[in-house]
Amino acid sequence: MDEIVAEYIRRTVLKIPRDQIRTMLQQWGFLSEAQLQAINFCQIKDSISQDVVQLCEQFLFFLDNYIYSNKRLWSVYQMNKRGEETDFFDLTDFKKKFKRRLQSALTNVTINFREYEDNAIWIRIAWGTPYTKPNQYKTSYVVYHSQTPYVFISVSVLKSNLPLLCQALVAASNYHDIREMELRSHYLNSLKDIVFKSYSQNFQSYYPKPLQERNVAPENLMIIQENKNEKERIKRVNSEVFGDGPQPKLEFAQYKLETIFKSDPQMNVLNRKVPFRCLVKFSSPHLLESLKSLAPEGMADAPVSPLLTCFVNP
Amino acid sequence: VAGGRGRAPEEEELLLPPHRRFPRDRGGPTPAFSLAGECRGRMEEGKAHSPHEVFAHLEMLEAQARAADVKEEEAKRQAEKLDRLKARVRELTCQRDELQAKVDLQQKGQLGKEGVVSDPAQPSAHAVLEWKIKNVKDMLQVFYLTGISGKLTEQGVCFCISTAYEGTYLDSYYLDLLTKPQVYIFRHSIPTFIPLAQLAKKYLQTDIRRFLSVLSNHLNAYAARRYQADQLQEHFSDQIEGTLQTNSLCNLLVFNYNVSNKSKTFPFNVRLLYGDLCSSVPTKVTVSCTPGYWLGKCHR
Repeated sequence: MDEIVAEYIRRTVLKIPRDQIRTMLQQWGFLSEAQLQAINFCQIKDSISQDVVQLCEQFLFFLDNYIYSNKRLWSVYQMNKRGEETDFFDLTDFKKKFKRRLQSALTNVTINFREYEDNAIWIRIAWGTPYTKPNQYKTSYVVYHSQTPYVFISVSVLKSNLPLLCQALVAASNYHDIREMELRSHYLNSLKDIVFKSYSQNFQSYYPKPLQERNVAPENLMIIQENKNEKERIKRVNSEVFGDGPQPKLEFAQYKLETIFKSDPQMNVLNRKVPFRCLVKFSSPHLLESLKSLAPEGMADAPVSPLLTCFVNP
Repeated sequence: VAGGRGRAPEEEELLLPPHRRFPRDRGGPTPAFSLAGECRGRMEEGKAHSPHEVFAHLEMLEAQARAADVKEEEAKRQAEKLDRLKARVRELTCQRDELQAKVDLQQKGQLGKEGVVSDPAQPSAHAVLEWKIKNVKDMLQVFYLTGISGKLTEQGVCFCISTAYEGTYLDSYYLDLLTKPQVYIFRHSIPTFIPLAQLAKKYLQTDIRRFLSVLSNHLNAYAARRYQADQLQEHFSDQIEGTLQTNSLCNLLVFNYNVSNKSKTFPFNVRLLYGDLCSSVPTKVTVSCTPGYWLGKCHR
């Protein structure tokens, strides 16, 4: 929401006598009963008007996500810190620093913040130029979890603003520098799962875990399973590497590899064993799920080569 | 002057032991003639003793006899008591032997119903196995409850650090370590904001116990801080203005609340800073009241 618009709302609400604010909002009928209840009308008027502005902003985030949910492409960036001192991340401080840094370089830019329950901070940025107002239709989004080195940025068309955005992030979060990682996806949650390792991994422990109900199809006794032991082994080994739960939805990954060409010595393809460097790129509608099914489908040996499992076990 | 009832008192009394010659419960006058030696002896001394002296003497002898009686009774009672205690000792010794036998049998793996010792000639193998399994499970549960437990894997060991705060068990975190060529972390489920890399660099190669201990402290303190923040939000939501502001590590907590006094309401701001990441108690607390507002109210 435009800063000027937000300021107008805030100042106007302040002019209304405190005991009439609630009635006024109810008359307007835009906010739900739950939202009205969330506002504490006993606090000082300045806080009440801030709450109203925040609610309007929340609708902005909601609208953006509703339309563009999986169409936005997210990239992961990693920040580095020099020292090892404890980080007392102060949200108010972060917002202030970020705004100040960005607005000092660009006058025409609108910045909105939204905090979610999982400690995620969403930043919405609408870019303008010195001569034009901020374009609300082409916005960049940044998602940051405090006290972690990872930032998720949705790539916007105006790539020229990216360095400025990165600088502002580094300054506000007290880090030193930032670089792009080789991870991109339309699914933000999957990227988070990979980077924060919050997908289900199978760790060996003696503590009995609650048994998961698995739908086992009734066995047809007329069909004899050959290699049943081998199948079970593959399943178990695969499960150890990929875990039992759903895989994060990764669509694109790449890494650099240095390796030696292996050939039949008689073919004499290469006289010397010279290592060569290459870039390996993967793309798939669901990369990790397809890698997980390689061994059970018989297309690769179990345990699967580390060249393929490096995405879950870096 | 013979007392008694048709017997020759002298005869009877002479048959009794000396101290029994004057039984207390016998009626009748005390026969003077049964004073066998003593009185006669005294009489034979030539002096004519007065009846007073005789009676006094008789009284003395009676008292002596009574005392002797009492003594005998006492001795008898003591003897009886001793016998009783000896019997008890025998009884208890027997019981102890029985119980010892039971314990020995149990330790050898023999199971019996409560209080009844099973027949040692027929141990139930199934029961023994069940008992062993239960024992091991309980032991593993104990290890888990200590907060740090582990399981050997093919190439190393997988540790489980469980967190708790004031009796409530919270999340568990895992560390899969490989031991060759050096100890290093293969994979883990430790949150990104815990300084795992720093701790590993400091302690993992040199002192793994210390590494696990310090990591456990970090994780437990974080879990405790987060739990406290959640509880604060949950139980005091009506008193807190807006939402609790915190961060991933929960080492900074900021919130506002009001203190009302009759018609005046004072808005307070609280800022809790947890300087020690291994502690669930704040190191610095700042409570402030919005100055202008209070003054404003005061002027009115």
